[in-house]
Amino acid sequence: MAENNVSKTKKLFTVCGLVVLALGIILYFAKAPMGLNRKIYDLPIFLIIIGLGFACKGFMMKPGAKELELSKKSFGEFLTNNAILLAMLVLVIVICILQPRFMQIRVALDILTQSSTKLIMALGICFTLLIAGTDLSAGRMVGLASVVSASMLQTATYANRFFPDLPQVQLWMPILIAIVACMIFGALNGFLVAKYDMHPFIATLAVQVIIYGACSLYFDMPPNNSQPIGGIRPDFAQLGQMRLFAGIYQGFPGISILIPIALVICVIIWFVLNKTVFGKNVYAIGGNREAAVVAGINVFRNIMGIFILASCLYGIAGVLEAARTAGATNNYGNGYELDAIAACVVGGVSLSGGIGKVGGIVMGVLIFTIIQYGLQFINVSPMWQQVIKGVIIAVAVAIDLTKYRRK
Amino acid sequence: MSEYLLEMKNITKTFPGVKALDNVNLNVRAGTVHALMGENGAGKSTLMKCLFGIYNPDGGEIFLDGKKANIHSARQAMDQGIAMVHQELHPIRFRSVMENVYLGRFPGHMGVVDHKAMYDKTKALFDDLELDVDPLALAGEQSAAILQMMEIARAVDMKAKIIILDEPTSSLSDREVEHLFKIINRLRAQGVAFIYISHKMKEILEISDEVTIMRDGQYVGTWPVTDKATGEKLTIDFIIKQMVGREMTNQFPPREGKPSDDVVLKVEHVCSPLKKSFQDVSFELHKQEILGIGGLVGAQRTEFVEALFGLRGIASGQIYLNGAKYTNKNPGFAKSKGLALLTEERRATGIFGILPILENTVIANQKHYANLGILNEKKMRVEADRECKKLNVKTPSLETLIQNLSGGNQQKVLIARWLLTNSDILILDEPTRGIDVGAKYEIYNIMLEQISLGRSIIMISSEMPELMGMSDRIMVMCEGRVTGFLNKGEYTQEKIMALATQFAGRKENTAA
Amino acid sequence: MRKVFILALTFLLVFSFTASADEIKIGSCIYRFNDAFMLRFRNAMSAESEKLGAKIEHADGQDNQITQNEQIDKFIADGVKVLIVNPVDRMSSQLIIDKAKAANIPVVFINREPPEEILNSYEKAYYVGAKAEESGTEAGQIIADYFKANPAADKNHDGKIQFVLLKGQNGHQDMILRSKYSVEAIKNAGIEPVEIASAIANWDKLQAMQIMNAFTMAIGPENIEAVIANNDEMALGAVEALKNSDYNKGDKNFYIPVVGVDANASALDAMNKGEMLGTVLNDSDNQGAAAVKLAYALASGGDVKSIGYEITDNKYIWIPYQKVTRGENK
Repeated sequence: MAENNVSKTKKLFTVCGLVVLALGIILYFAKAPMGLNRKIYDLPIFLIIIGLGFACKGFMMKPGAKELELSKKSFGEFLTNNAILLAMLVLVIVICILQPRFMQIRVALDILTQSSTKLIMALGICFTLLIAGTDLSAGRMVGLASVVSASMLQTATYANRFFPDLPQVQLWMPILIAIVACMIFGALNGFLVAKYDMHPFIATLAVQVIIYGACSLYFDMPPNNSQPIGGIRPDFAQLGQMRLFAGIYQGFPGISILIPIALVICVIIWFVLNKTVFGKNVYAIGGNREAAVVAGINVFRNIMGIFILASCLYGIAGVLEAARTAGATNNYGNGYELDAIAACVVGGVSLSGGIGKVGGIVMGVLIFTIIQYGLQFINVSPMWQQVIKGVIIAVAVAIDLTKYRRK
Repeated sequence: MSEYLLEMKNITKTFPGVKALDNVNLNVRAGTVHALMGENGAGKSTLMKCLFGIYNPDGGEIFLDGKKANIHSARQAMDQGIAMVHQELHPIRFRSVMENVYLGRFPGHMGVVDHKAMYDKTKALFDDLELDVDPLALAGEQSAAILQMMEIARAVDMKAKIIILDEPTSSLSDREVEHLFKIINRLRAQGVAFIYISHKMKEILEISDEVTIMRDGQYVGTWPVTDKATGEKLTIDFIIKQMVGREMTNQFPPREGKPSDDVVLKVEHVCSPLKKSFQDVSFELHKQEILGIGGLVGAQRTEFVEALFGLRGIASGQIYLNGAKYTNKNPGFAKSKGLALLTEERRATGIFGILPILENTVIANQKHYANLGILNEKKMRVEADRECKKLNVKTPSLETLIQNLSGGNQQKVLIARWLLTNSDILILDEPTRGIDVGAKYEIYNIMLEQISLGRSIIMISSEMPELMGMSDRIMVMCEGRVTGFLNKGEYTQEKIMALATQFAGRKENTAA
Repeated sequence: MRKVFILALTFLLVFSFTASADEIKIGSCIYRFNDAFMLRFRNAMSAESEKLGAKIEHADGQDNQITQNEQIDKFIADGVKVLIVNPVDRMSSQLIIDKAKAANIPVVFINREPPEEILNSYEKAYYVGAKAEESGTEAGQIIADYFKANPAADKNHDGKIQFVLLKGQNGHQDMILRSKYSVEAIKNAGIEPVEIASAIANWDKLQAMQIMNAFTMAIGPENIEAVIANNDEMALGAVEALKNSDYNKGDKNFYIPVVGVDANASALDAMNKGEMLGTVLNDSDNQGAAAVKLAYALASGGDVKSIGYEITDNKYIWIPYQKVTRGENK
């Protein structure tokens, strides 16, 4: 019976996938003759990708995998468990109807690009959340890294150079300096938390203020005097703006280099969390700090490591933000930490520590970006955007908590 | 008026993959103490949680005084006269005793608390229960016994008809147990029914009127402690037989061989920086020896072994490991020197509840599986699996979260954790606390096996039979000081008690 | 050692008092030192004071009105002849005026304009600044001028300007005025403006870039004829977004005029590269000079009419904004 059921599920996935795939292919060839080019844009390609995904999932499904029960109860459960995802899908469909231009490959790529730096930040902050902490200094570290890196990477001819006499240094040097600067402050975070057992909220709040002050002092140094930093060297800007495979076919805008960068970091962080002693220690300290001490884990060293690694990621995010926008001010990154925490939480990271997966964080960040981008796309008022964002956070966490409470 | 004050009929509760309760019955008469017994994992706690509204049973009915009761939350349970005193108490530490007693139902008007009334009421309650505690004292400063009495006082004040006591004596001294029984007897005479969960056979036979036994989530039966017709009492052997489903002849496995003369650990005049904690502790631990540490609650035994393991500091004294000087820097260092500590508070300082068994097993030994910080998962899995199988941990898989295991199985996982580190000296702090008879026997076997492998054990135990049955030598502590050593063959319960209470009179003297 | 130190300090104090007896001392209260615009303003005032032979002392209000009030008290106690105040909170100007009135010294407000009735409550109170709406007007004029000079900029040939508006922080006075008057200026120049999209980007380059990215995707860059931003940073963000869609990279056929306000260095650089059309300069040098000249005249009893600036309503000196477009800047 169960065997039968599994093959049924498998069949369902495969057939659905193939139908969507076929529809996509038909539309792809039919859209030009039917004059739908300006009505559905790249929808066929999306359908082909979704169809392929489903079909592959069905095809790869192993016998004995969890059966898909079709009943009122399981349907209801499915609805609540994936409420945020479904709400997002509905929103996406509505946007597509209101503004068919949303169905473009370049829009999807743009969303991924915007998610990239946010994802890198969220991956950093998730470490601090995993030990039941938090990091309020994350946003300001982004600002610090962007200002420091941009200040040393201006073109020689730019009128208002930060360091008028600085030669054109190797690209990696200022980047490294910026990231190391962040890591020093990360170490300060870790030291306060680990050494004095300070609550991370307070420790990182203090460091946040320090960083902003220090960054503003740096930013205010003559001759710059708090002017926004511009005249960024093209090779540095390329680091955030380069597009790969551009024009591989007619009209393909190219994949922003930020996407592969974020992907690589994702893989590294996944590896660190799941395959290394450090990662296991993070979960252990988050799960039960006292027990971790008894088990002989060096909590001090691990907490230091957590904050330093996290700040390294913020530093990378900051450098990329500077490169992407070809500029920097001391206000960059302001409030990013809250967005990143919210994305983590929506992605299933528990604020009480010990629970959280990289996959969830990726989902959380994507959901947030898609909704934000979509609302922007159809020009919804920013005040409404705020309201919607808040509702998402509350609903997502409420659903998550009921899931855990269901014993 | 129905015959029973409480009837639980055919209670069934299923968790994902486990049938925790299968048609269980429990009938409790007013004015009796009803013992609920069974091995760990037999479903006692689950049944009580169903009664107390923490879980909703999947099937079955609950009747109170013959009327069907609907209990969906702890609050509803309390409103209907059911109170529960949990095994591990979590008072609000920085509030006074009286506030803890009246938590959630402060006396007063329109949101303004009447502190005077609260004080007087608490005082009256405590006087009634012969408790000499200042209602204004901080709850966090009270002993486990006082906290328990506080909970009972709370239940009495709420006019509870049924009071559930979950392992009430697990951290009480004999004198405190006596006091507790006095209170139980008095309340029983007033018509209050107790549901008494315990593993301690002697206590059960002493205090209870009826015994209900459960095994593997099923109802085994209910017996009166004293047969009305014949006047015969239940025997311990009979109860154990019903609990485990087999005869248990020996509580302790036979000890083979003797400790060697080699000294592996030498402690000289070790003092805690805190005056009230351990002072001037000296002893030697021999290879292949089980050194038992006896004493009452508050003897600072736990504090001492924690200091040995680097969790607490010491002010003075020397420690030598295999002749070399040892400093108690931190647990990581202690671990590297071949020490292992199984802590007393399993949940607070032992398990990582939200992590799978696999991680819980290998966490203290990760370096062994890592190459440049990257873990070899296959090796981890193989060793964890081997160790868990050897210790007979009952679990569907290594991926199961440890919090879903019974206490005994959690304890076995923790022992597996320390066995994996191949430590030479195992320090076991109350290794069988709150664990059923079958699992206890298994743990004793593991201890003896370790001894035969050339290791040594320090065991803290508050259970006299265990202490005497397992130790090669017993060191007794009282109020932080070592009061004497007893060798195998020369110890009796009386001798140990005499040493453990050596300073007991001193406190009263100084207080007066 | 300590005695010597105290002695020295006393001498210093006495010396400074005697020194201030002859020359005119101006107390200047800046709302916050760490502000690029006010920094230039401050430098201009110091330079002008030196020229006039007056002594000016600046105080950092640290963006806190209470701190600033204390500094004003201190200046009055020190015996300054005139106050120049850049209020933290323009609604608190009444308190400042009351203090000046009590000490009977003139006060010149700069950069942040006190409400009219408050300014009118003291005959020796003046205001030197720029009309915020003018910055909007000039930005709009830059766009209008560009359209008149380049008919091809009207991509759909409907005679109207389809523009995107990027606004600053919500509720900010500059944001409201600049948004309103830039559109009005286009209308006044005889071209009908059509707002196809607008958003709040909080003066921020990054936010502006992300929003502009979404807009170009949603509307299509071929349908946008102009971008008006409330400041240069947002204009530059829009430029980055447009470059992302291969616009404003030098090809005349793929160009959308973008204007901002502030004339900061990055904007000038972008204009030199042809990525941005123009910006508007809030003339801090001129404002600083005017403020000090006015203060000096007031303190020395000179004729305020002869300082070389027109005084409107006997209260205001308005310094005009300056358009900066491609090729005009150095």
